[in-house]
Amino acid sequence: MTAPLAPIDETITIDQLHLDPYPIYRRLRAEAPVLRVKAVGRTFLTKAADAKYVKDTPALFSSDDPRTPMKPAFQAHTLMRKDGPEHLAERMAMAPALMPKTIETVWAPLYRQFASDYMDRLPTDGIVDLHRDLAGPIAARILAHILGIPEASDEDMQEWSEALIHGAGNFGWRPEPFERSDRANAEMNALLDRAIERVRAEPDASALSVMVNAADPIPLSQIVANIKIAIGGGINEPRDALSTIVYGLLTNPDQLEEVRARGAWGTAFEEGIRWVAPIQASSRRALEDVEIRGCLIPRGDTVMTIQASGNRDEELYEDGETFHVFRPRNNHLSFGSGPHHCAGSHVARRTVGKILLEMLFTRFPAMSLPDPSAVQWRGFGFRGPINLPVRLT
Amino acid sequence: MPHVTYVAADGTRTTLDAAEGASVMETAVRNDVGGIIGECGGAMMCATCHCYVDDAWTARTGPRKDGEMDLLDCAASPVTDASRLSCQIRMTQDLDGLVVHLPEAQV
Ligand code: HEM
Repeated sequence: MTAPLAPIDETITIDQLHLDPYPIYRRLRAEAPVLRVKAVGRTFLTKAADAKYVKDTPALFSSDDPRTPMKPAFQAHTLMRKDGPEHLAERMAMAPALMPKTIETVWAPLYRQFASDYMDRLPTDGIVDLHRDLAGPIAARILAHILGIPEASDEDMQEWSEALIHGAGNFGWRPEPFERSDRANAEMNALLDRAIERVRAEPDASALSVMVNAADPIPLSQIVANIKIAIGGGINEPRDALSTIVYGLLTNPDQLEEVRARGAWGTAFEEGIRWVAPIQASSRRALEDVEIRGCLIPRGDTVMTIQASGNRDEELYEDGETFHVFRPRNNHLSFGSGPHHCAGSHVARRTVGKILLEMLFTRFPAMSLPDPSAVQWRGFGFRGPINLPVRLT
Repeated sequence: MPHVTYVAADGTRTTLDAAEGASVMETAVRNDVGGIIGECGGAMMCATCHCYVDDAWTARTGPRKDGEMDLLDCAASPVTDASRLSCQIRMTQDLDGLVVHLPEAQV
């Protein structure tokens, strides 16, 4: 006997998910952890164990989904949507640039300087939108250097990233998002042409240089695609992570005090990204009929692993809905799992966790959030605050 | 069941029964042994399950797997000849009594 298909929901809307998915996820974990959500056209998996199982089982769940708008947005088939040896080759081509040793020796001193400069620029009186004026630009600067395109401005990097993300999320296949991502691609291509010449002539430790100057390089088109995927996936998440953690600490002064006393900025980082995962959900396509919790996932069906929900799963966490830095255990899924585990996890942990948080709270010890209710949270695929009006002194 | 001992950087020892065929990483993660994260679930992508195989055991744990060295390069703590990714060591009766030392940091 074959299992029945997962129940179908026709009430949940994308708008609701965009505004606040967490009450919905809590209900689904209890009532319907495997659920076909009509508005999204995907089967939601809201339990941590299921999300991890799917990501850890690439033989059954492929990252390659030809029907997503990702290809037109990036003008390329990128490593995020490849499987097996092809994925591995492209992934490992970039890995040396993103490893802890390189970050520590090459980038950390430069990043400390940038962080310091960007914090110097902030006005010390009145209300400052820390999300817009610090989190976004510093995330862009950090990424531009490690990728090997320091000539790109913060504004360019942020626009390109948004354009790629909007294009890749353009499931309505409307023309405007692709027009915007096409423009971004043209600008990135022009800049990359010059940057490639530069790193050929003067190799450095950046991702671009490492890929271009490898003994057995991957094709240039894939090098370019890798840089684009890192631009699309390397600004929003550290930016949103920083704003989320700052919010968490400012609204829990007792925890902030303890983090400060113990120097536990890394622990605060992990809790922030558990609490509100910057990437909330990922898609995988079933390569065969599979059964999950008694529901048939038919071959060809696309499931969504909702790590945002898994991160608050009652089976793993007591009171997972709240920000609690010193919780006894935290094995969140915010960097994913399996072969597509975030390639930038070391960068994010070392920049946001080890450099930015500590510097920010040391430099502005009296920083406060006068009106937490003014902070707006948005996002279904990617999520975080969209503003963070703080007072620095 | 083969047992495996984890020696934390501060010297704390934890001995566990491992399921036959389970990796040294999985065994640690399932039992909440601190000091091993294993964030990518054994796909050799995160380098957060780094361990140093005790000298007495390196012959039996055998050589590193294909691609393992590339990921060890990404480890947060110093890599030595004894360094392995614990997701790449599977527990068998042959490894009953295995001792691995854990690094100072995994991230
Ligand atoms: C807090 C910050 C970050 C979070 C929470 C995060 C999260 C994630 C997640 C969940 C995935 C897996 C997607 C999937 O399974 O389909 C991923 C993949 C990826 N991330 Fe990150 N990321 C962060 C920062 C970064 C940074 C700074 C970079 C670039 C330096 C980066 C580059 C990548 C790349 C290239 C992939 C694709 C890996 C592959 O498909 O093999 N990420 N990230």
